[in-house]
Amino acid sequence: MELFEAIKSRRSIRKYKADPVDDKKINAILEAGRWAPSWANTQCWRFVVVRDPKVKARIADTLMKIKLPDREVPNPGAIAFNTVPAVIVVCAEIGKSGGKPGPGGGVEYVTDKGDWFMFDTALAVQNMVLAAHAQGLGTVIIGAFDAAQAEKAINVPEGYRIVTLLPVGVPDQEGKAPPRKELSEIVIKDKFGK
Amino acid sequence: MDVFEAIKDRRSIRHYKNDPVDDKKVQAVLEAAHWAPSWGNLQCWRFIVVRDPKIKSEVAGTLTKIKVDNEWVENAAAKSIRQAPLLVVLCAEKGKAGCSPDGTPVTDKGDYWFMFDVALAMENMALAAHALGLGTVIVGGFDSAKVAHILDVPSEYTVVTMTPLGVPDHKGQVSPRKQLSEVLFNEKYGQ
Repeated sequence: MELFEAIKSRRSIRKYKADPVDDKKINAILEAGRWAPSWANTQCWRFVVVRDPKVKARIADTLMKIKLPDREVPNPGAIAFNTVPAVIVVCAEIGKSGGKPGPGGGVEYVTDKGDWFMFDTALAVQNMVLAAHAQGLGTVIIGAFDAAQAEKAINVPEGYRIVTLLPVGVPDQEGKAPPRKELSEIVIKDKFGK
Repeated sequence: MDVFEAIKDRRSIRHYKNDPVDDKKVQAVLEAAHWAPSWGNLQCWRFIVVRDPKIKSEVAGTLTKIKVDNEWVENAAAKSIRQAPLLVVLCAEKGKAGCSPDGTPVTDKGDYWFMFDVALAMENMALAAHALGLGTVIVGGFDSAKVAHILDVPSEYTVVTMTPLGVPDHKGQVSPRKQLSEVLFNEKYGQ
């Protein structure tokens, strides 16, 4: 698929068919993630591919409910976990990106943003969602979940954290483009407020 | 350009020609960034397109120096920023991504989801630029507060990252990547 077509037509998919997904396609998605740039090429990302329905269900349980004015409803993403054949759990090694070895053996962060693991992981994730879409697969980037609980479900060790959950499967919906701000609202020339 | 080709062949470009860049291409690159997904579709990113050589040079001056053999050496990207005709600076609105409407963070990642969202946009930008024959390099090691001051960025926003945008003057090297087996696990971590 042509790059600009992939970028413009990618959608967040929350309804999936139960159709299996070839390992080859998953690998292509992970390769795409792997080739993202990263702070000093530290590549702090780690990918856990979960297909086991029991593990998927435990992770689905960690998704935060949506708070409506009068009640709470489950996150639509959680329902997707039952049908989707695989979930890529995107983790990151802490203390690498955005830092350098400190004097006492710890890590010294170089900017006011501290650890850049969120930034670097997202560079990989964007490549992954495009790679999935280009192969006719859907994804949605899930951030609202209890990471500590999910980390227990898949044995994430000390020094690593789960950043996001990426269900991957054959879409069961068209996917609507939510409205985007106009370019004029977000592009500034030379200095802010001009 | 095919998606996979763009992803595999994109490089961090640190040497630029000073050839001008078509406005249409700049527009296409910014649109690509803007079509990234974001928490709650909040699109908390803002792009400052800097062409003024004086401003570019001031911003280049805020890049963190590194010590090489007891000497403080300027980051190569500082020169890139001065060479390339454009600099795109990405800012983020604070307290939006990853937060409930009243600004309270919703996850253990605190209010750092703006870093995640900005990077989604930045990766689209880097890929789009590459597909149009342009180069980028994602710069993070700089004094954010100083850049905010130079560019009049209001306090509700924070300067996250920046990239020169221009015609590459070199192919860029392939930084070796960890093997997939080093970053991939099945079912559970470490398996």
